Amino acid sequence: MTTLPWLALLVWGTVAGLDLASVLQGLLNRPLVAGTVAGIMIGDVGAGLRIGAALELFALDVLPVGASRYPDYGAATVAAVALGAWQPWDTALGPAVLLGLLIAQLGGWSIVGQRRVTAWALHRAAQRLDRGDPGVARRLHLLGLGTDMLRSAGLALLGLGAVALLTREPLFDLSTGHALTVVAVAGGFVALIAGALRRAGTVRRIAWLACGIALGAAGLVLQ
Amino acid sequence: MMPRLRALLRLVSLQASYTYERMQGIGIAVAEEPLLEPLQDNPERARAARGRSAQYFNAHPFLAGAAVGALARAELDGEPGERILRLRTALSGPLGALGDQLFWAGIVPGVMGLALVAAAAGYGLRAVLAAVVGYNALRVMVTWWGLKIGLQHGLTVAHALSESALPVMAARAGALAALIIGVAIPWVAAWLLRGIGQPVRSTVLVVAGAFVLGVLTLRRPLSAPALTLGAALLTLLWRWSAA
Repeated sequence: MTTLPWLALLVWGTVAGLDLASVLQGLLNRPLVAGTVAGIMIGDVGAGLRIGAALELFALDVLPVGASRYPDYGAATVAAVALGAWQPWDTALGPAVLLGLLIAQLGGWSIVGQRRVTAWALHRAAQRLDRGDPGVARRLHLLGLGTDMLRSAGLALLGLGAVALLTREPLFDLSTGHALTVVAVAGGFVALIAGALRRAGTVRRIAWLACGIALGAAGLVLQ
Repeated sequence: MMPRLRALLRLVSLQASYTYERMQGIGIAVAEEPLLEPLQDNPERARAARGRSAQYFNAHPFLAGAAVGALARAELDGEPGERILRLRTALSGPLGALGDQLFWAGIVPGVMGLALVAAAAGYGLRAVLAAVVGYNALRVMVTWWGLKIGLQHGLTVAHALSESALPVMAARAGALAALIIGVAIPWVAAWLLRGIGQPVRSTVLVVAGAFVLGVLTLRRPLSAPALTLGAALLTLLWRWSAA
């Protein structure tokens, strides 16, 4: 890769990271979307779609509710696609997804840290804020936005740095890569199914899920 | 720019200043600010309103517009401060539960499930584009509608929300998402597993095994990413010891 895709990937990883909670929450952080865009930037849309889809299976198990700590799959998927692009995907998908999972978990911890920085600033400004001094809330808000941008950029940089290290020489032989791909995809299905059952909750919704599986299987057979 | 549009733009970054103490409180204050501009003629009222606007608040970010509108309306109408703070607390739970059910457990998995099926069927790029455009159009529309209904109804916004189509949509969205995710399971399995040369029988076995493990991890003794990373580590150890 030339310098341009690295820089573009860094910017896209940062944007996708911001979309997780701070700005918009408009699906840009979803692995399928982040991966597809990263694939377009690198010139291997197929890899972006497949790696994004595999990580999407894990992301569908996550409910980003309130104060819970959830993984950041945006920058993680960008790094995963950078690792897995332009390679035979039956051997590259597994290592790429595993790198994505690791970075996503680190991303989850980084959000906790970023929110603590905002809380520290809030403590210092609490009196002025509660008094209703003009501009205090806006300054705190911009600080939160800035620190989250730094957090996202840092995570994207970490992921891309890992890619630069891992692509120096082949890490695995083809059969190990293949085995890791099966493990990664199977793990994705564990996440997807556990997430679907957890969200479904009621017997009625589980019946809807079962109906969907039957419909999907019938559609595949008829295709 | 009209104040309601400025409030909408600020609501897009509602959670940028999220903290575990006040949660979305500061974001709400920033979004409410343009709507409170008519109070500028009365500095004391404006200051008191600003002070209240940054207190604890937590709801679904897409529906927080209803709270911002309602709180601003109550401030402009000169409602007593205690009443406004009570409204703030009262709106948090219902707006959070309704939005989580509608978006996080319904629309998001439904849209992503559809995009996965379309990607598996070979329409990846168009599906991703359609998902992002459609979802964001809905997201902005809901936030705008929330602001409007909040500004219209003020203290009685909770009643207006309960009379709207949102609760019915939230109840149905989960079932629809479950159906779509169900459809996605065989399609994505066929795409990803058979695509790497796994025969039909082993593809079915992997999905069936994942179903059993998925049920076992429901109570989360081990998360799926941790399980996957652990299994990958064991695979690597096995491969290296066999080499």
